[in-house]
Amino acid sequence: MDNRRLFLFKGLMWILAGLAAAVAIVRFSLGLGVSTALSDTTPWGLWIGFDVMGGVALAAGGFVMAAVVHIFHRDRYHAAARPAILTAFLGYGAVAVGLLFDLGLPWNIWHATIYWNIHSALFEVAWCVMLYLTVLALEVTPTILERTPFQKTYRFFVKLALPIMILGIMLSTLHQSSLGTMLLIMPFRVHPLWYSHLLPELFFVSAICLGIVMVMVESTVTSWLYRREPEMEMLAGLARLASIALACYFVMKMGDLLRQGKLAMVFDGSWLANLFIAEMLLSTVIPMVLLALPAVRRSFTGMWSLACCSVLGFVLDRINASGLSQVWATRRFYFPAWTEFAISLGIVAACVLVFFFIQERFPVDPHGLAQVEAERKALEAAPPAFAPFAQVWLGEGWRKAAKVYSFLFVLALAFGLTAAPKAEPVVNTRAVRAVGASILQIGPGPRYVYFDHKKHQDEAGGSKSCALCHHLHQKGDVGTPCVVCHENMFLRTSIFNHEAHVADLHGNASCVQCHGKSEPIRVAPAKKCSQCHDKDMMAANPVVKVFDSKWAPSYKDAMHKMCIPCHVEKAKDAALKLPNLGRCGACHDSGTQAEKAYTAEFPEKTAAGERS
Amino acid sequence: MIENPCILTDVTKCIGCEQCVVACKKINDLPANGAPPRPGSTPDGLSADRWTTVIRKPDNHFVRKQCRHCLEPACVSVCPVGAMQKTPEGPVIYDKKICLGCRYCMMACPYGIPHYEWDSPNPSVRKCILCYPSLKAGKIDKPACVAACPTQATIFGTRDEMLAEARKRLRAEPSKYVQKVWGENQVGGTSVLYVSDISLDFLAWGDGRELSDKPLPPLTWAVLKAVPFEFVGMGVIMGSLYWIIERRRKLMDEKAAACTSGEDNHGQ
Ligand code: SF4
Ligand code: SF4
Ligand code: SF4
Repeated sequence: MDNRRLFLFKGLMWILAGLAAAVAIVRFSLGLGVSTALSDTTPWGLWIGFDVMGGVALAAGGFVMAAVVHIFHRDRYHAAARPAILTAFLGYGAVAVGLLFDLGLPWNIWHATIYWNIHSALFEVAWCVMLYLTVLALEVTPTILERTPFQKTYRFFVKLALPIMILGIMLSTLHQSSLGTMLLIMPFRVHPLWYSHLLPELFFVSAICLGIVMVMVESTVTSWLYRREPEMEMLAGLARLASIALACYFVMKMGDLLRQGKLAMVFDGSWLANLFIAEMLLSTVIPMVLLALPAVRRSFTGMWSLACCSVLGFVLDRINASGLSQVWATRRFYFPAWTEFAISLGIVAACVLVFFFIQERFPVDPHGLAQVEAERKALEAAPPAFAPFAQVWLGEGWRKAAKVYSFLFVLALAFGLTAAPKAEPVVNTRAVRAVGASILQIGPGPRYVYFDHKKHQDEAGGSKSCALCHHLHQKGDVGTPCVVCHENMFLRTSIFNHEAHVADLHGNASCVQCHGKSEPIRVAPAKKCSQCHDKDMMAANPVVKVFDSKWAPSYKDAMHKMCIPCHVEKAKDAALKLPNLGRCGACHDSGTQAEKAYTAEFPEKTAAGERS
Repeated sequence: MIENPCILTDVTKCIGCEQCVVACKKINDLPANGAPPRPGSTPDGLSADRWTTVIRKPDNHFVRKQCRHCLEPACVSVCPVGAMQKTPEGPVIYDKKICLGCRYCMMACPYGIPHYEWDSPNPSVRKCILCYPSLKAGKIDKPACVAACPTQATIFGTRDEMLAEARKRLRAEPSKYVQKVWGENQVGGTSVLYVSDISLDFLAWGDGRELSDKPLPPLTWAVLKAVPFEFVGMGVIMGSLYWIIERRRKLMDEKAAACTSGEDNHGQ
């Protein structure tokens, strides 16, 4: 199997699958929080935009080719039908797996079968996808059975094929458009360039386009990988079909924009408008125009690259409509976490591998199978020839390749497990009650401070002042950290929020409003809070702070004044037998920076502490 | 429990003390020190364990945000399994036992109300439930947040009473209020109403630009109700196309066969 291309490609797929396997463990054991960049503002991300919305559309080749070959009897596309249907089957499998990753409670997925809400577009999508997956499985079965001893069953399935195909087309029509219907309820989120009452129809037509170009991609890529003659005639035919379908889509889309009077919006220069233009160029305009040229349709590279370009554009369309365009309304940008990419790519990689597996063993594409089998036979029959490069890199035959692949998989898995994000527990400040006050534990380490709650409350204005420190609007609802008021280690600070006042009163010109016209501006003549906040001083809150020349002592003084008196007293208490309590080292580990600084600054106090 | 329970919040009376937030946390047993908000989410203060919040706007305006308990809730209509439910009395509640975690409700709510427990491997969607269980059981006669408000900035009654009260206030001090009851008609009407001296459109996504007075669920239903017809229609079209094409091919084959056999006869 001297096919380095295929070997490297498969190796890459195994690595991606291994990485995804590692991330999967994190996703299911720790939840969506660590494994995604999703948030309450952007609850749907890459997994919905690409894996589900994009995946379903990418797998549209199945129903399009089924219709072309089995309903319209375009027999020259026969060779493409089986691979397309197999891809669709795997694609929908990937959508289902992707959905399992994205659902918060994936073990409840079966609820869709017993709890019904027919008003939900997602309910319809869920049912259609479920049924269509079954239909696709039935459509794939003849391929698997064809060369097995179960000929009776095979013939039964072949007979069943036609009604099943038609059922598949019916189901696809519904859910391809329903993916568009899902967005209809969000006119306030989806950007007007993407939002339209025709979204279901647009999604359906673009799915047909995508189906055709996807079959082209698939056919060109497999012939490249397996070093097979590309089926140029069929490809050219598909290219023509694609060009026509794309033209229909283009007319529909433009007509729709015109109808809504949004055409001018396309050229308003905003980044979303430009994104829209890029998407239309990639998905529709460029492939539509170029594929219409006979010269392009004779070139393998031309068809291959244009089909890819269109696929890219349509996937971008799904991502834009279901997520990116909504930045317009939410004003919050979401970029997927690497773990999200890992899962998305890993699922695709796994599908590609299954595709290869089936394609190399069952008559998906009879030419291909014959070639693969011939190669394998030749390889296993031939005495090992000396091929240094092949022996180092490829091994001989599939057995060795399998070893290398599983090694790559495990390697990626191991790497993923070390790199995967870990959940960080939220650390709460733990308060330990002490006499009359609290000892607060700060942070995860053994750091404690003495905190006299009552004293703080009294000074801040009594029972109505809670909000001064416990503003619940702060991140994580924690109380204000000490440093907010005791700002400086050595200097006292005002707890009046000067900056906020300047900002609220619109900048520097407002000084005179509080400070009067006295020059230079000083604190003393400034207004008292109550002079402005006459009514709303009910409770101090994070905006309105109590200010009657309230000064918070420096951080150091605050701590020392509260701790030292009690320590010194307790050290004197003979009954306690703890003469060292008054030493600095009782709190400041001796030898720490803090103690050194302290002893250097106040040698006499340190000595006193030691004596007592 | 009263029918159509409704909360009316008067923004001009709110002093931003957040007593409602504390009360809501208490009655719903939410942790006081919740997880910090997800990076990248709108910093309005709502989270999975903070169902109501006070948004601070310039010039000492405090706007309480909570679920609006829409008359025709988008979140309920999109939930594929009916885990979001509109109770017969009116409040919109959530049933964890049914939920899939698809988060469609979070996407569909025009006000960005439902929040998710991102840090849990077994997460729920969480939002204000208008204290439905306690009201229903008769444990309280008004929601905890309303009872806690020291200035009666937020009051409780039936929707009709609250609408009447809102209109009365607008009439009494026309120069003070913006002449609009937020929630009266927006998205088909909600059960949490506001009167205010500043615009409250910022409470909705996109500053309320794309919100009309029409309810949201019919946007989907207009398409979904056609689904059975589409389904059958597509089947009929495909079936008949197949039949026609197949028949034409057969006829052509027969003709070809007839021709060749005719020629053969001729030859003999
Ligand atoms: S405000 Fe949002 S969450 Fe509340 S009922 Fe309306 S749609 Fe549902
Ligand atoms: S997350 Fe749960 S409640 Fe929300 S729409 Fe999905 S299934 Fe319904
Ligand atoms: S009605 Fe009940 S659940 Fe809703 S915000 Fe008020 S206290 Fe919280």
